Amino acid sequence: MNPSVINESQQRDITVICVRTAIQLMQFSAESVLVESVTRRIGLALGAESVEVALTANGITITTLCGGRSDTTVRRNIDRGINMRTVTEVQRIMLDAEAGHLGIAEVSRRLDDIGSQRYNPWVVSIMIGLSCACFARLAKADLPACALTFVASFIAMTVRHQLAHLNFNPLVNFAIAAFVATSIAAQGLIHNLVEKPQVAMAASVLLLVPGFPLINSVSDMVKGYVNTGLARGMMAVLLCAASCGGILLAMTVWNAWGWIR
Amino acid sequence: MIDLLLHLIEDMLLAAVPAVGFALVFNVPREALKYCALGGALGHGLRWLLINHAHIRIEWATFIAATVVSMVGVYWARKLRAHPKVFTVAAMIPMIPGVYAFTALLALAEIERSGLSDPLLAKAIENGLRTLFIVAGLAVGLAMPGLLFYRRKPLV
Repeated sequence: MNPSVINESQQRDITVICVRTAIQLMQFSAESVLVESVTRRIGLALGAESVEVALTANGITITTLCGGRSDTTVRRNIDRGINMRTVTEVQRIMLDAEAGHLGIAEVSRRLDDIGSQRYNPWVVSIMIGLSCACFARLAKADLPACALTFVASFIAMTVRHQLAHLNFNPLVNFAIAAFVATSIAAQGLIHNLVEKPQVAMAASVLLLVPGFPLINSVSDMVKGYVNTGLARGMMAVLLCAASCGGILLAMTVWNAWGWIR
Repeated sequence: MIDLLLHLIEDMLLAAVPAVGFALVFNVPREALKYCALGGALGHGLRWLLINHAHIRIEWATFIAATVVSMVGVYWARKLRAHPKVFTVAAMIPMIPGVYAFTALLALAEIERSGLSDPLLAKAIENGLRTLFIVAGLAVGLAMPGLLFYRRKPLV
């Protein structure tokens, strides 16, 4: 579209689309450079002359420019976890808009249609149990220790799903899940069930390592978004520390200090 | 030689499972799950080879493995019409230094409980630094295609 023919109400629609794009990507943990480039590209594709994006950890500010008029809007940003399906769908909408297949109304409708389906929580829990068992196996644990790890992390993941469903703060959630996982894995140490109980204890809490925020944090900072990078990195460290709190509590309750001493 | 190959295949298979498991947590689209598995196996297998047979330190081995996966990931991302990070981060999960991170924090807590001692302090600092370097290696490795080849243009 020619920028000069975009009227004020169209410009407002473009601004809203841009900010909705940005907020969806930011809330579901896309890296900052991706948030900014997708938002800018969708705005330009719909006919804005320029789109300026300012990201902070808790809010997003967007200004679009059309024929000398500027339109600015701010949205509050809350962290809603990681959801790569949403990120992919937003990006595909942007690519279709860029190819000229979509107008303002269609883009807006397709942004509305993005669902929030997730994988079945039981399937996820079983796969996470298997994942942690594989981590134990990679650390040369015997098969009973792997089985113990599977049980511990499967139950911890189920607890994590339940607590997330009840809207608990992620930090509380991680601490409780770590307590549950360590408590179960510690039984191997107490009752001498397995050969390397320390490995089972360490592997069963690996489902709580915030790998995505850690990587995002460093890549944000490498690409110049120090502000969001620091916020994400600090959140990752806090999640690790909360998990450690849960582990320590479990070690104290069961008096099982095999890991650290 | 056969022995090496068997070890490598075992390592790759064991790494593919966590890559897919965590991809489910990250809600990676179904059509990208196979790339998570392949990337996880490729990255972890390559790192295992580099550490055990080329005797490269774990930080550099991680960096090289992450770089290779991200280069391949750009090609897959074009086919999928999605940003490579959508599946390459899940593929990095088997290489995340989780045990080092927790050991460092637990050692810190133990210093508070039982007082400062050289072995505990060493444990905290060594594990903490190793975590930092490996995560930096992963993240910078993943950023390599953008830093080297796609400096001004978007990946997808």
